[in-house]
Amino acid sequence: MGERAAIYRTAGLTKSYGTGATTVHALRGVDLTVHAGELLVLLGPSGSGKSTLLNILGGLDSATSGQAWFEDTEITALDADALTEYRRRSIGFVFQFYNLIAALTARENVQLITDIAEDPMTPEEALALVGLEERMDHFPAQLSGGEQQRVAIARAIAKRPKVLLCDEPTGALDSQTGIRVLSALETVNREIGATVMIITHNAVIADMADEVIHFADGAIAAHRSNPRRKPPGELAW
Amino acid sequence: MTAVPPLTRKLLRDLWRLRGQALAIALVMAAGVGMVVMSYGMMRSLEATRAAYYERYDLAQVWVPLRRAPDSLARELAAVDGVAAIETRVSGAATLDLPGITEPVLARLHSLPVRLNRLVLRSGHLPRADRPGEVIVSEAFAKAARLSLGSHLPALLYGKQIELTLVGTAISPEHVYAVAPGQIFPDNRRFGIIWMAREPLSAALDMRDGFNEVLVRLGPGASEPEVIRRIDRVTAAYGPVGAYGRELDISNRFLSSEIDQLRTTVRILPPIFLAVSAFLLNILLARLIDTEREVIGLLKAFGYRNRPIAWHYAQLALLLSGGGVLLGWVLGAWLGRGLAVIYQEYFAFPFLAFTAGIDIYLIAAGLALAAVLAGACTAVWRAQALTPAEAMRPPAPARYSTGALANRLARLLPDEPSRMILRGFLRRPMRTLASVLGLAMALALYVASASSTDNVERMIQLVFERGQRADLALSFSEARDGRVLRELAVLPGVQRVETYRAVSVELVHGARRERETVLGLPRGAALMRIVALDGAAIEPAPGGALISSQLARKLRIAAGDRLEVQVTEGQRQRFALPIAAVVDVPLGASVVVERATLNRLLREGDVVSGAYLMTDPARTSELFAALKRTPLVASVTVAANAVRGIRETIAESMGIVTLFNTLFAVLIVAGVTYTGARISLSERARDLASMRVLGFRKGEAGFVLIGEQALLAIVALPLGLLLGVALSHFIANSFSSDMFLIPAAVSTRTLAEGVIVVGLSAAATAVLIRRSADALDLVRALKTRE
Repeated sequence: MGERAAIYRTAGLTKSYGTGATTVHALRGVDLTVHAGELLVLLGPSGSGKSTLLNILGGLDSATSGQAWFEDTEITALDADALTEYRRRSIGFVFQFYNLIAALTARENVQLITDIAEDPMTPEEALALVGLEERMDHFPAQLSGGEQQRVAIARAIAKRPKVLLCDEPTGALDSQTGIRVLSALETVNREIGATVMIITHNAVIADMADEVIHFADGAIAAHRSNPRRKPPGELAW
Repeated sequence: MTAVPPLTRKLLRDLWRLRGQALAIALVMAAGVGMVVMSYGMMRSLEATRAAYYERYDLAQVWVPLRRAPDSLARELAAVDGVAAIETRVSGAATLDLPGITEPVLARLHSLPVRLNRLVLRSGHLPRADRPGEVIVSEAFAKAARLSLGSHLPALLYGKQIELTLVGTAISPEHVYAVAPGQIFPDNRRFGIIWMAREPLSAALDMRDGFNEVLVRLGPGASEPEVIRRIDRVTAAYGPVGAYGRELDISNRFLSSEIDQLRTTVRILPPIFLAVSAFLLNILLARLIDTEREVIGLLKAFGYRNRPIAWHYAQLALLLSGGGVLLGWVLGAWLGRGLAVIYQEYFAFPFLAFTAGIDIYLIAAGLALAAVLAGACTAVWRAQALTPAEAMRPPAPARYSTGALANRLARLLPDEPSRMILRGFLRRPMRTLASVLGLAMALALYVASASSTDNVERMIQLVFERGQRADLALSFSEARDGRVLRELAVLPGVQRVETYRAVSVELVHGARRERETVLGLPRGAALMRIVALDGAAIEPAPGGALISSQLARKLRIAAGDRLEVQVTEGQRQRFALPIAAVVDVPLGASVVVERATLNRLLREGDVVSGAYLMTDPARTSELFAALKRTPLVASVTVAANAVRGIRETIAESMGIVTLFNTLFAVLIVAGVTYTGARISLSERARDLASMRVLGFRKGEAGFVLIGEQALLAIVALPLGLLLGVALSHFIANSFSSDMFLIPAAVSTRTLAEGVIVVGLSAAATAVLIRRSADALDLVRALKTRE
């Protein structure tokens, strides 16, 4: 694995909210390296700083101090417009509550991204990759939670992003549906070679990862590598 | 299928989802735009029509009344520098005795015009040369006095009884308003214009080989005052009164005053409507797009740039309001044209030249759309100024006020839902203020629109109930000795008599001159009093004059100054008159002095020009019969008829505009109430769903929403009423034409109606919103966000 290039590097990354007595330190100096093509799982309790890290790496939020690089670009130095371009070209997001646009069908939600991407797959291909080719013309309200999350994944991968950032992708789903969603993520990692970072509360999911990072109180508490990735189908909780 | 970008599809589906609000927004927009288009369209049409009417039918620019001039003078006048064309004519006054009308009917007679002040024949035919008794009369008079072709009109012309036969009716640009001498308002039943061939009229008036009036058309570029001075020099030997221009012609003056008044309404009310609806749309759109904050965050997370996001919501805003612009254009043009047609008939124009002007359409739409876009852009700007991570987080962890006052207030409330409402208001004080202000302004528009008729009623009350309390006003054909009072007092039914003196004058102050009448009233007069706008009756001080504020403004004169007076009749005396006070009078009576003072200044004895009579209504017909036999009485004004005249002229013309304005105001009130509540529902959907999940009943949860709207309305009501009264005062003040001042007098009835309009729209909205709140999908409302 050592031969793989680093896709993310951070150095002394901190983030705090508020001022004075009410200051909340969400990140307290994080140093981390993520390699291209890895599937990485971030574990930790609520408020431990995993979402904040993911938001900064994804260009959704800014750091208070420290640096973060995406390949050779220091993303902590980018302005809002440059961050927009960065997200547009390189990053795919999957959120716990899907964030589908209710007024658009599954296909149209994906098309929202393929319209602005440089070399996207077709919405149909992306939806086929997550096994939803049959339900493309349904509105979010007509889909189950797992289906909605798979639409969100299809929407995130359709532009062939280098990185797919997933914040609690299975948090709102039952285990069986969750496993289908994880399979979809694993497929994406394998088929298009995207680096996948998954935030979860669920320690079982760590078994499908190359790398596992434990967060506590705004800092990395532990970091391990799995010798073998378990296929999502073998996971159970 | 893929041809339409997904954001466009979202746009269309959002529009469908927001159709109720789109309709409400469109109505508010249509009211603002439609009001402007209607008013300006109507105004411009009327002005264009008047100009075309005067032009096409050759209305004179200068009138030269004379006592009697020989035909040879015509050539001299035609040669005056600056005169393009003249027409001499014979004019006179007659009293008619018409069946069914107890009061004497007055008529102005003109020899038939040839080139200037041409007639528009409306029925029948022109008098034939070989039938000396044939006449045509003004159409309005024929209608009001129920005359038909072939009617016989027994007339008394300077003591000669002649029989006239009606062969036609006509209208004339010179008599759009036929106003009897000394009157301010038309009374078509008792005053009419008669045109007849010159030969028989000259014979009756003893005016053969001569004339007593000249009409003048000026040459291009000629200065009217200059020409009038030259004409006055030429005609000095032939008459007491000088030449005057169109602006002093009573019909044109009345017409101008009415059109000015309409123009004031147009200049003030519609822009306010447009501004208010624009302000409301700005608030509504900003709030609407605030609810899309997460979608904006999401699009940003995906890498959408700011401009396409802003454009998406700009499109939403434009489409939401675009229908309103179209509706406003169509409605405004349609109503404007309709109003112009009504006014065209009311003003007795022979045709209507309709011009609305593309600029008005564009300006109205441009202003309204700019406000809408500004509202949308503020909200998009607010959303995109956040990092996408922030924007996507529910705006919740809302910091509710922990202030001591807020907490003390909250503790006063009986239950949690009430506290939710209160804290919701306190948390966003600016938004609460904007909502209250929006509703208050909508209500203010209603009150200001609807109060126009109140103001006219107040004017009538001031002038006729408090001021002119006489039942009849008589004017004598020439000044009489004061002892005439005793002759009048013994006429049947007369209970009280007061005499007055009135002279036509030219008032001079510095370089400013005005032709007016000075009125002399007896000390302690009860039948004719000067009443100011505030209702106080004011007596002229001995030796000094009261002057109306309108006239004082024109002459730039103030209390304590001395006014130079040149009498333009009889002995043509000149004297100086100290101004004792400047008074805001609603109507008429421009300069008033004590009668004894006026007699002294005129160096005459106890002389009067007319009298005010208080009479026994049961003996009216007896009195009129007696007056008809009295040769000294030139005109009789019946107060009740004058009031009716005012109601018919001002109140009716205002009434139509008022009705339309009021309807537009109701639209705005309804639109604002509904949209405000809809947006509130979408903002509170999660709270409501949570309450329902916790076991609150539909009604209990709905209370938070309905209670919030009700509280907003309750706070907005007094503010709206206050704003409405202030706006009504502002509009009334801007009305001051040179003929009347409109007092501001919003009636409690209008205020009550305003409250009812707001109450009804709020209630109707509450029903609709309650239905939506009850249909809320709990799971979806709670599931969609963290």
